[in-house]
Amino acid sequence: MNLDWNIIWTHRDALFHGALMTVMLTVVTMLLAVPGGMVLALMRLSNSKVLAGISLCFVEFFRNLPLILIIYWAFYVMPMALDVQFSALTTALVALVLNISAYNAETFRAGINSIRRGQMEAALAMGMSHRQAMFRVVIPQAARRILPVFASTWISLFKDTSLVSVIAVSELAYTSMQIRAQSYRVLEMLTAMAVIYWLMGYPQAKLVDWIHRKYGVKE
Amino acid sequence: MNATLSPIGAPGAATGAAPTAFIRKGAGDKPVLVYENVRKTYGDFVALNGVSLQVNKGEVMCLIGPSGSGKSTLLRCTNALETLNGGQVYLDGVPLPTRESEVRRVRQRMGMVFQSFELFPHKSALDNVAMGPITVLGMKEDEARTRARALLDKVGLSSKADNFPANLSGGQQQRVAIARALAMGPDVMLFDEPTSALDPETVGEVLNVMKKLAQEGMTMIVVTHEMSFARRVANWVVVFENGAIMEEGPPEQIFDHPTVARTRDFLSHLGWDG
Amino acid sequence: MDFDFSPIVDNWRFFASGLGVTIALSAISALTSILVGLFITLVRLYGPPIFKPFIVFYIDTMRSIPILVVLVWIYFAFPILAGVTFPPFWAALVALTLHIAAYAAEVVRAGIESVRPGQTRAGLALGMSRAQILRKIILPQATIRMLPAFGSVLTIAIKDTAIATVIAVPELMHRAETVAGQSYRPIEVFTCVMIAYFCILFPVTRGVDRLYQRLAHLGRS
Repeated sequence: MNLDWNIIWTHRDALFHGALMTVMLTVVTMLLAVPGGMVLALMRLSNSKVLAGISLCFVEFFRNLPLILIIYWAFYVMPMALDVQFSALTTALVALVLNISAYNAETFRAGINSIRRGQMEAALAMGMSHRQAMFRVVIPQAARRILPVFASTWISLFKDTSLVSVIAVSELAYTSMQIRAQSYRVLEMLTAMAVIYWLMGYPQAKLVDWIHRKYGVKE
Repeated sequence: MNATLSPIGAPGAATGAAPTAFIRKGAGDKPVLVYENVRKTYGDFVALNGVSLQVNKGEVMCLIGPSGSGKSTLLRCTNALETLNGGQVYLDGVPLPTRESEVRRVRQRMGMVFQSFELFPHKSALDNVAMGPITVLGMKEDEARTRARALLDKVGLSSKADNFPANLSGGQQQRVAIARALAMGPDVMLFDEPTSALDPETVGEVLNVMKKLAQEGMTMIVVTHEMSFARRVANWVVVFENGAIMEEGPPEQIFDHPTVARTRDFLSHLGWDG
Repeated sequence: MDFDFSPIVDNWRFFASGLGVTIALSAISALTSILVGLFITLVRLYGPPIFKPFIVFYIDTMRSIPILVVLVWIYFAFPILAGVTFPPFWAALVALTLHIAAYAAEVVRAGIESVRPGQTRAGLALGMSRAQILRKIILPQATIRMLPAFGSVLTIAIKDTAIATVIAVPELMHRAETVAGQSYRPIEVFTCVMIAYFCILFPVTRGVDRLYQRLAHLGRS
């Protein structure tokens, strides 16, 4: 077994850019999936049965499918359905945003519903409008409950970006495996990939822990 | 809706002096609230079965009765937290509106105190009390805060103005809740079992605040199980059972000489010896 | 836009065997994950303190790196280190268990820690040993609370088996890719496979939701 760990240093540029792409995918997806999730949650909580139904179907669709399948499906269906050629990156983002929006919708909805009805009633009894009651009483309290779950979703997303490697998006996993294929340095590259993910992911995991400790619900 | 008259013997009755007729408090003016055949159902369950009632200005009315008899439901119909399935509620002669913007204006004239206090946990006591005037009445923050401090002082909690609800006892929270309701300057105060969730030691501090309010002439409707409070402070007592009024009258009648046998049963059930 | 579903119909046996592998891999890895998770949490909470930092490190590591990375490393890199090769199915099983057991361990820990300390004190006052308290008082209460979360473990396992396609495990996703590639009918194939996965996952997530609702009233003891 002769190992050449230098290979990692040689390709440090590519690996760095791969890691950057992973981060970019995570951030951009979440930037779009938070408003997306809010819209879906408000639709679900609204009085319109039609809106609530659409939201429910959307959320259930994405909750009950593996993300890797959604990525493949988007890759093949989108060009056909919309008659445009999309880059793999765009496809990846679409799949990720739709998927994470669905999870966020559930998180937001559950958080809002977890606030006792009495709080809404006390606000209404004072003469507040429904919207005022929502934004000044219910949502501020729900936000505390939502944050820990949201943090967990974030770190799941970070890990799930690795799946877009299957459609050749140059994030960390794809880049590492390409270098492995070209250099035949399997153990070195795969270990390097794991270590780089670990270096990025471990601080995030600790941050999530801290958020859960600080904002966890104490009944 | 006639005021029930029942003669109370004056101290000199034995000597043949004419008995004083009982006059219901506020009887001279138009009633503040009139319930006309109010009906409320939840699916098959009839919570209120055509209840008619009148509340006069400055009157302290206590609604008593077994659980599920409709008293809380009637209270919640008063400020439109529940919608009616039949009948009407009149505030100063005007029926309760249905559009949210108009309902809000009506709610501003009524203050409600809940059994579970329902203080907003993410705001201090002071901000809880000031929130209504700022958000709903559009009052300036400083003005609202000053008003809030005065009200907290009135309920005996000026030292706790900056505490958050989690750091207040149940009795303190409820007193803040009363101050919060008063901050809107209501004409009527609605109390939904205000002391039922409190430890016995703290019940007294809340009842004292309510008694003070009553003495100041506030129109109050109180759903309660505190019989001695009702006996001492109420001007009018209404006994509910199964969504209907079993009996109503001054506390002396209800507690000492109930005319309906079921009232007597209910009271003795609660350990009221009369 | 004409659709041709014949590749799916013609290859139904192929797909069916893939479905079988998916179900087998999901069920077994869910089970092994829960067992391993239970074991390491018991060691963490009640075993010699020396193990605790390693266990915590393991759990945090699995939280930090994607399952894809673990899968690929176990299948391609580990053989180089250890000189043994795994068939894809077993490599996937090991990788899935390794990754999901960390999650299961946290579920078990949350369940056990949610039982009020007063329960332990009551047991001690009765003269019970720690092992008896664990077995007869804590675990029964904790298990009920953990049930919905174990359902989630199964959901995660099912979704993660689809990722095993990258190491050529012959499960449903891989079958889909093969047929889609050969027949040039990716849309029909992937749509049908989507429906299949939905039909498997939907009852499980529904069941988990129901369990959460049913058991919500148990709250904290």
